[in-house]
Amino acid sequence: MEHHLATLIRWLLVPVALFVVAALLYWVFRQLGWKRRQAMGVALVSPWIVGFVLFTAYPLFNSLYLSFTESSIFGKTKWVGLDNYIRLFTKDIEFWPSVRITILYALLSLPIGVIGALLVAMLLNRNIKGIGMYRTIYFLPAVLPEVAVALLWRWMFNSETGIINYALSPFFSLFGGGKPNWFGDPQFVLAAFIIMSVWGIFGTNTVVFLAGLQGVPRSLYEAAEIDGASAFRKFLHITVPQISPVILLQVIMGMIGALQIFTIAMFVRPTSAAGKFMNQLVYERGFTQLHMGEASAVAWVLFVIILALTLLVFRSTPFWVHYETDVRR
Amino acid sequence: MANARAVGTVFRSRKRLSFLKNAVVYVVIIGLAFIILIPFFWMLSTALQEKGDIFAWPPVWIPDPPQWHNFVDAWTAMPFHKYLYNTLFIVVLGMIAEMTSATLVAYGFARFRFPGSDIVFLVLLATMMLPFHVTLIPTYLIWQKLGLVGEFDPLVLRAWTAWGPFYIFLLRQFFLTIPRELDDAAEMDGANTFRTFFHVMLPQITPALLAVAIFGFRGYWNDFLGPLIYLTKMELYTMNVGMYFFMGGVNEAPQWNYLMAMSTLIALPVIVLFFVAQRYFIEGITFTGIKD
Repeated sequence: MEHHLATLIRWLLVPVALFVVAALLYWVFRQLGWKRRQAMGVALVSPWIVGFVLFTAYPLFNSLYLSFTESSIFGKTKWVGLDNYIRLFTKDIEFWPSVRITILYALLSLPIGVIGALLVAMLLNRNIKGIGMYRTIYFLPAVLPEVAVALLWRWMFNSETGIINYALSPFFSLFGGGKPNWFGDPQFVLAAFIIMSVWGIFGTNTVVFLAGLQGVPRSLYEAAEIDGASAFRKFLHITVPQISPVILLQVIMGMIGALQIFTIAMFVRPTSAAGKFMNQLVYERGFTQLHMGEASAVAWVLFVIILALTLLVFRSTPFWVHYETDVRR
Repeated sequence: MANARAVGTVFRSRKRLSFLKNAVVYVVIIGLAFIILIPFFWMLSTALQEKGDIFAWPPVWIPDPPQWHNFVDAWTAMPFHKYLYNTLFIVVLGMIAEMTSATLVAYGFARFRFPGSDIVFLVLLATMMLPFHVTLIPTYLIWQKLGLVGEFDPLVLRAWTAWGPFYIFLLRQFFLTIPRELDDAAEMDGANTFRTFFHVMLPQITPALLAVAIFGFRGYWNDFLGPLIYLTKMELYTMNVGMYFFMGGVNEAPQWNYLMAMSTLIALPVIVLFFVAQRYFIEGITFTGIKD
């Protein structure tokens, strides 16, 4: 109980401190000759700036620095240059498999989740009785806590008595081969994670695309119909360009989210042989083995991967993303 | 006459075609709904099974009789009532701090311009793409230096700094939809910035605030990594961390009926919240296209 009270008191003091900072900034910028509203703007956004500097900008560079050091439990850090990276790239037997499974997971689950959801959304984009009810159902997986999702699927994928192996058992007897050990076998673990991810993301993406599709002007389709365009051409030349900004957002956020998978993997607990995701390595190296330097190095490799893939997607946008402003230009 | 009949056939075959199309649509819609719902059903079903049923082959779908006491047994197997209290403590403090600060910051970005404000906002948007784990270890070290690792502080203090670029973005977009004449009129009447904010702006953005509240609740309720690394004392665990240890060690066979009972209980508040407030939920997501 005293822990709660102590936190509560400190929690009440933080806004006071932030208010003082804001007031101080207001005063300083007024002294510098800024207008009242300009100084007020700085004061209002200052809590975010404080948080950004303390908890984003500084940690970002600090973790890069840490990745070149080795730290002991006593907090002494020693500069070791590229040692952490060299050890990861050449000696660590868990590193490359985790890079592989993390990237493959993102690159395989994303297209299924996006393209599939887009097709279903197009199917749903008409007057359907009880559409509200289906929308609710489709959304359910997205609200479920990841802990529950992970445990639920781990149970369903259970190799001995899980319902998935039960449902697939006719195939096993047909083609031979035993029940797959989904989370213990490197051959199946990726498929299991992709199924889980698609189940979780499919419905949400569908609802988002549906909202996007409803914003596409009917007149565009009518004009195309007069010109005798086929359904496929309408899809390719009207639907996709019109909702491409929505697709872009879903692709980027979905990819970043998929590359950062952590909670689900921790609860599903695939065996070491089956592979660990990169964020699991960050956690294990940093918080169970206390190698903060090595953990930071893994985190930075992941960060660079995310950055590279995101830039790649952005680079591709001129070829497929269409903004209304382009037309006016 | 013949002409009219031909028209009739065309009309009828078109009708049949659209009927077929509709049938396909409904099959897909209902099939998808089933695929989504079966795991939920299976979770509840397992939660109500006795130990013998769990390893039955073929699986038992409807436990007879349902073992309602599984919920009580699982709940009392660990001090989950304490964990629930801790979780709610974090949820409430986090949400209050997050909503207050995010609203003020969003108001700042929506209505006040200052040299560099566009760049600051761009940076804010960019942080949405920053992976959480890259800042994890230095942040941990900061709290360690402050001597607050093992307390709730690392999980709730940061919320005051408008933690969560998504909330700021959502609220700012809502502020932008409010006509400027409203605040101009208030200021003409002599209201200062804060009076304008509380009496004119705040009532207008209630839907967005509700959306943020819902996302905030879900975020804190579902958080696992933060509590896992910061809460080192058993009596301060949250529900999710409690679940992690309830799951048992690597070599222990999990008790699936208990785990599913607890999963159901953990999922319940969020599902109820979703049903009550789904309009805001779906609006929030479709408005910005972001899930987490």
